[in-house]
Amino acid sequence: MTSKTLTNANEFDPNNFEKGDSLWDKAWYKFKRDRMGKTGAFIVLVYFIIALGVWFGIWGGAWSDTSDDLWQGPSMQHLFGTNVIGSDVLTRVIYSTKVAFEVGFIVAVLSTVLGAVLGSLSGYFSGTWVDSVILWLMGVLDSIPFYLFVAAVAFALKENPFAMHIAMIATFWTGTARVVRGEVIKLKGQEFVEAAKSIGVTETNIIFKHIMPNTSHILLVQSTIAFVAAIKSEVILSFLGLGVKDGVSWGLMISESTQDVLAGHFNNFLSSSVFLFVLVIAFNMFSDSMQDALDPKKVS
Amino acid sequence: MDILKFAVRKLFGGIPLILGVTFISFLLMVYFGPDLTWEKLGKNPTQQDIMEVRHELGYDQPFVKRYGNYLKQLVTLDFGNSQMTDKKVSTILKETMPVSLHLIIPGFILGNIIAVALALFAAYHRGTWLDKLIMTGSVVGMSISFLIVIIAFQLLFCSSFGLDLFPVRGWEVYNNEGNIIWSQYFKYVTVPTLATVFVALGYNTRFYRAVLVEEMTKDHVRTARAFGHKPASILFKSVLKNAMVPITTRIMFSIPLVVVSGSLLIESYFGIPGVGKITYDAIVAGDQNILKAIVGLTAVLFVIVLLLTDILYRVFDPRVELK
Repeated sequence: MTSKTLTNANEFDPNNFEKGDSLWDKAWYKFKRDRMGKTGAFIVLVYFIIALGVWFGIWGGAWSDTSDDLWQGPSMQHLFGTNVIGSDVLTRVIYSTKVAFEVGFIVAVLSTVLGAVLGSLSGYFSGTWVDSVILWLMGVLDSIPFYLFVAAVAFALKENPFAMHIAMIATFWTGTARVVRGEVIKLKGQEFVEAAKSIGVTETNIIFKHIMPNTSHILLVQSTIAFVAAIKSEVILSFLGLGVKDGVSWGLMISESTQDVLAGHFNNFLSSSVFLFVLVIAFNMFSDSMQDALDPKKVS
Repeated sequence: MDILKFAVRKLFGGIPLILGVTFISFLLMVYFGPDLTWEKLGKNPTQQDIMEVRHELGYDQPFVKRYGNYLKQLVTLDFGNSQMTDKKVSTILKETMPVSLHLIIPGFILGNIIAVALALFAAYHRGTWLDKLIMTGSVVGMSISFLIVIIAFQLLFCSSFGLDLFPVRGWEVYNNEGNIIWSQYFKYVTVPTLATVFVALGYNTRFYRAVLVEEMTKDHVRTARAFGHKPASILFKSVLKNAMVPITTRIMFSIPLVVVSGSLLIESYFGIPGVGKITYDAIVAGDQNILKAIVGLTAVLFVIVLLLTDILYRVFDPRVELK
């Protein structure tokens, strides 16, 4: 890797690659020189450490404790002040980070897996009834208004705390599946697939062992997009009363702060909004730089 | 004549989509949905009362028949009465739809026109600090939650903590004959429009710039440049016109969802009696007749939009064949 130190850091020079460097080597090399992307990744990491701390019970456990200090401004004891029932806003914001990561991870991983599998099947069998059925399903799910779909799933699952997650997974996979389908249609005509077919590899193995791994760079980018979408949707759904039921989240905090701001107390609203905004923008920056690094055709 | 034939065929092609949407939403919302029997019953009901209410709600009929009834309602546009207010659903929709449209249209148009203008500007100055400024701005815009924008704009423009220029809630823009009073309309529509435009700009500008930049790297643009055409005329004639196909697709496809989902937050937060508000109320109260009507009509709207998009493609790109 020593040969890859460059004098002019802004110029992308293909000669710096050795023969046999993979897409991932090139992507890592490009990513390392992307300042915005690195900043984004660093901020996401900080949030992740905050979330891990909550998981291991190091901080944020006292989010539901109340005190007699109602609607206090920032002070040494309560850095971000307190809310209407006297809970510490900082503790609640920290605990909510964990909730956001849980929602983001669950939705991103499962919707990407679902999108990868159904997108690959639909791409490999393009033009057949399998493809038509999957395309039809995608069209149907995309035409149901999102909030109504979440409400419908919540009705059907009878107050199940994961109704929101399930609804998001059920709708977010279509985006991934469309991109994967397009890529698989291109890949399935290539020689390595033909070679695999000619030595008698089964269709299942061709699809999932030979073709799908070649879409992994798309899947990585799509999962970051789903992560951001899930965190943002959680806020709106919790506000509408369809999201996080027990516990606390940024969405619930913003929704309870609509009362606070009318009375002139902004700390609850500001802290939850800023925490949400910084994580989302960092993730967007990270996601952008990954797209730049992993998509050889992207022009910017 | 070709267009007419094409339209009819497309409309029939949309039937599986409508069936799918209505089937899934019926299954989730009504069949597995909340049982309204007990809410309609008085205290200490007899077996007879229970049977009567279940019959009235249609719970004693088989699934296929109930779903069939829903489809019949969709075709005849008669969705029965709202379970909360006992008003006819079609009347409620007739009253609320104009409100939503009046609320949404200015923001929707401005959000797209300004975004295309910014995207053209950014693409024209591609790689310079102007481009970077616009693109950074749109990432910031994308990252702020719609809810935060609404709350912040309301504080900023409507409350005593900010400029206090506009009313906080409500929608008193019609006179007794039901016509719009324009000065009132302007007062009530401004803040919701600003919020919609702010949120739309981030996503739209980014998407439109990506489309324009991709078009700019094509060979025909290089050729036009080599022939010495003016940059501005290349931008509008060769780039923008070719990019109109993806741009139209995006605008058209956002119409059905903007009408319901977009106004849901704004209307419930600003207390505006439009489709979004009644949808929100129906979600909270479990008013299935209203929800069935809205989901069904959105699906129909989607099919119509799909059809119009295909026809519009033809307008912008004569190479597209109607088949």
